[in-house]
Amino acid sequence: MYRRICITLSLLLGVGLLSACGRSEPPTPGGPVVLRRLTEAQYRNIIADVFGSQIVVAGRFDPIVRVEGLLTVGAGRASVTPTGVERLAAMAYSIALQVVAQANREFLIPCQPLRPAAADDACATRFFQQTGRLLYRRAITAEDIALPVAIARKGAVERQDFYGGLAYGLQAMLTSPEFLFVTEYAEPDSEHESRLRLDGYSRAARLSFMLWNTTPDETLLTAAQRGELTDRDAVEKQVDRMMESGRFEQGVRAFFTDMLSLDDFATLEKDSVIFPAFSLAAAEDSREQVLRTLVGHLLTRDGDYRDIFTTRRTFMSAPLGILYRVPAEHPGSWAPFEFPADDLRAGIQTELSFVALHSHPGKSSPTLRGKAIRELLLCQKVPDPPGNVNFDKFNDPNSPNKTARMRLTAHATEPACAGCHKLMDPIGLALENFDGAGQIRQTEDGERIDASGVLNGVKFANARGLGQAMHDDPAATSCLVRRAYSYAAGRSIQSGERAWMTDLERSFADHGFRLRPLFRRIAVSDALQSIARGAR
Amino acid sequence: MPIVTRPRMLGGCVALVLANATAAAPTTTGAGTLGFVIANFNNAIYESQFMDECPDGPAVGNDELWWRGLSRADKDKLTKNGLVQPVDRRPIALLRGPKGEDVCWNPTIVKDPPLRTVQGKVSYGFNLDGSSDDRATPKSCAHRNFVSEGGTPGIDNQMYRLLGCHYGWRHNGVLDTFGNEERRNSGRGVILMEITGVIDPRNSPDVRVAFYRAADPFYIDAAGRILPYASYRIDSHAGKPRYGATARGRIVNGVLTTDPIDAHLPYYANGSYAEIQLRDMRLSMDLTPNAEGKVNGLLGGYYDFDKWWEYMNKVEFLAATGDWSCPALYTAAKELADGYPDPKSGECTAISSAFKFDALSAFVIHPTATAARE
Repeated sequence: MYRRICITLSLLLGVGLLSACGRSEPPTPGGPVVLRRLTEAQYRNIIADVFGSQIVVAGRFDPIVRVEGLLTVGAGRASVTPTGVERLAAMAYSIALQVVAQANREFLIPCQPLRPAAADDACATRFFQQTGRLLYRRAITAEDIALPVAIARKGAVERQDFYGGLAYGLQAMLTSPEFLFVTEYAEPDSEHESRLRLDGYSRAARLSFMLWNTTPDETLLTAAQRGELTDRDAVEKQVDRMMESGRFEQGVRAFFTDMLSLDDFATLEKDSVIFPAFSLAAAEDSREQVLRTLVGHLLTRDGDYRDIFTTRRTFMSAPLGILYRVPAEHPGSWAPFEFPADDLRAGIQTELSFVALHSHPGKSSPTLRGKAIRELLLCQKVPDPPGNVNFDKFNDPNSPNKTARMRLTAHATEPACAGCHKLMDPIGLALENFDGAGQIRQTEDGERIDASGVLNGVKFANARGLGQAMHDDPAATSCLVRRAYSYAAGRSIQSGERAWMTDLERSFADHGFRLRPLFRRIAVSDALQSIARGAR
Repeated sequence: MPIVTRPRMLGGCVALVLANATAAAPTTTGAGTLGFVIANFNNAIYESQFMDECPDGPAVGNDELWWRGLSRADKDKLTKNGLVQPVDRRPIALLRGPKGEDVCWNPTIVKDPPLRTVQGKVSYGFNLDGSSDDRATPKSCAHRNFVSEGGTPGIDNQMYRLLGCHYGWRHNGVLDTFGNEERRNSGRGVILMEITGVIDPRNSPDVRVAFYRAADPFYIDAAGRILPYASYRIDSHAGKPRYGATARGRIVNGVLTTDPIDAHLPYYANGSYAEIQLRDMRLSMDLTPNAEGKVNGLLGGYYDFDKWWEYMNKVEFLAATGDWSCPALYTAAKELADGYPDPKSGECTAISSAFKFDALSAFVIHPTATAARE
């Protein structure tokens, strides 16, 4: 009702009132419903939330290809390979055995069989109804549980063990597409006849995966079941509850893990002869460090997003202290740390998670770093290199060109290379004071490093200047807005959503570029639940 | 939780260290602090190319002395006609007292031939008693002095004279080599050094050098090398360091030297904790890193005899691989002990010693106020 009043008043008095109402947003045509595969993190989170963190999820997952900067979008195009199915089945059985194990069954299984050595359909049904609701993220039908109950019955009879049979049934549920794929459904939008909207359970799932990166909890599912998630006030109430939860940090971490491509740490390799201090522990801590930096700045201190490119505050662990050459106050754990004002380290783009991740195994790479800044942080696509790139000049070990700048200058004289390198190198060269492991340096091969650069016309002398240029570049905040919305919707931004993006960017600025208001606005928006007709 | 800030770097391999791991500057005086972790710590053994310092050859070990004393029948019986190798027959070889006593635990129970000791003139070390001749002083018993490599007279290092002809203590000998490896792998007995009051790492007229034991193990790379710039907490109890001997010193042209102090240093080697107790301990340390990024130093003092022999008893199981004989070593050590004569007996209670070490830059983390309260 409040919203209708606002819209009516806005039409009468002008759009200025829209923002005063605090809920208005430009109309969008809606996007498609999405069928997306659970990511590894989501799978693990769900198992932990439904069955407890004591359940070990051991196994490998099929990779998901990043699409338009996000794995979350790529998940909408991901399939499961035959080998992947086998792995998922094995993983599911392992989980199921743990769930029915003596130590867990008392609190994970809501009933006891009449006879432990025999099938008990009633108890099995009760278990699958309760568990399936959380795994499938919707109300469970008789059809949903018919198969797992039948499997549990057969297994119990053959093994003369109710719990053994139950494990087979749970395995079936955990390997079901209903669990492994987040399936969205649309329904008519009673307020907009021209379009559809997500049904309650689908909206609950979008909210939960966006804000918590896990399955909806019982409260959210109940709200969906009651049809409350079509009501704006009820949605806001749920979103506020979810954002106040400690799980919101988990969601924010998942978002930045995706946006910053931190999954690449899983395959990061450094030459231990050249960079002996870059251990596996250092790699893992580098990933954790940037997430702590972001959470500390954006959630704990409710800071301006732009400041992530200039902040000197971070967290330090013992393995990282060796690479940063700073003390780790608590060698066994993490401690807040602040670099001095004149230090070259300022902003997440100077942390190891960036400069080490976007480097070669044995040396830095201004090109990879420049590309990463363009694509990950500014959402600007850099064309792929041609297939016949000649790296001779860059890789020549006897080259008189000692620094990367010199080598790239020689390399970029190739006409086929010059165009793209102009997009990347002037940015990446500003980070040349960090070697391939992210350690600070002033010289390369005895030659003093020139770390000057330029970003979109703004010149700077070093990494600090680059950070300030990124801080001031509107593309950085625009990029976050686009990524956040795309992440929440699990799909690409549609052409009809440009005005909505512009509005979100303006709103983001109005709120001091703080993350919480942005996430909240996206989560409660009509746009997030709007489905285009024909996309049902 | 306080926020830690990056300390200023003094350049080279040396790094300033946070005094209390808080947001405070490294020291309240505005001067800098250098931190180091000692990687290798060896008895300072001067070795010539052809072992000229041992004209009679290497010292005779326990196994050989035991072997010599056996009848042919016993040799056959105890070693399966010589097939049991020295390392494996060590347990029985040490029991060569008249009634089968362990001769390391009872070093005077048998009389071995005189130990072959170092006869050379050159040694590493310091002039501990301030005298360049061989006569006794109020602080020392009569002893033969060495000269340094550079020809400086009055070098006191009777421990070298005692140990220098044993393979076990010479280059790559089992005792110190194993000790260094065990400290590297176990993190036990790791010595931290903290130099405060540094104005300039090349020249600082008045510094303090503190020695601590690390509570954290070494940080090593995939190849097992100790990494520089790691953070080590000081081993503390109730907020106070267990070790913390502090000497006054100075840095001149990049070389740190200290005034003598009596100090207890942590030590762990060959499966044994063994505190090194040194009187008149002093240090010389070149702060310019070598190609491996390490700095080198020499530390010396009068090693308390009883404390030293306590360690030797703990590692008696190495007599076979280290190739020494406890009775011969003990007797010689008593004769060579040159420091701090007992007022009543006149017998010296300590033996002049020197240790060579190398160290890496490190951050020394002091116990916090919270830890002190706990």
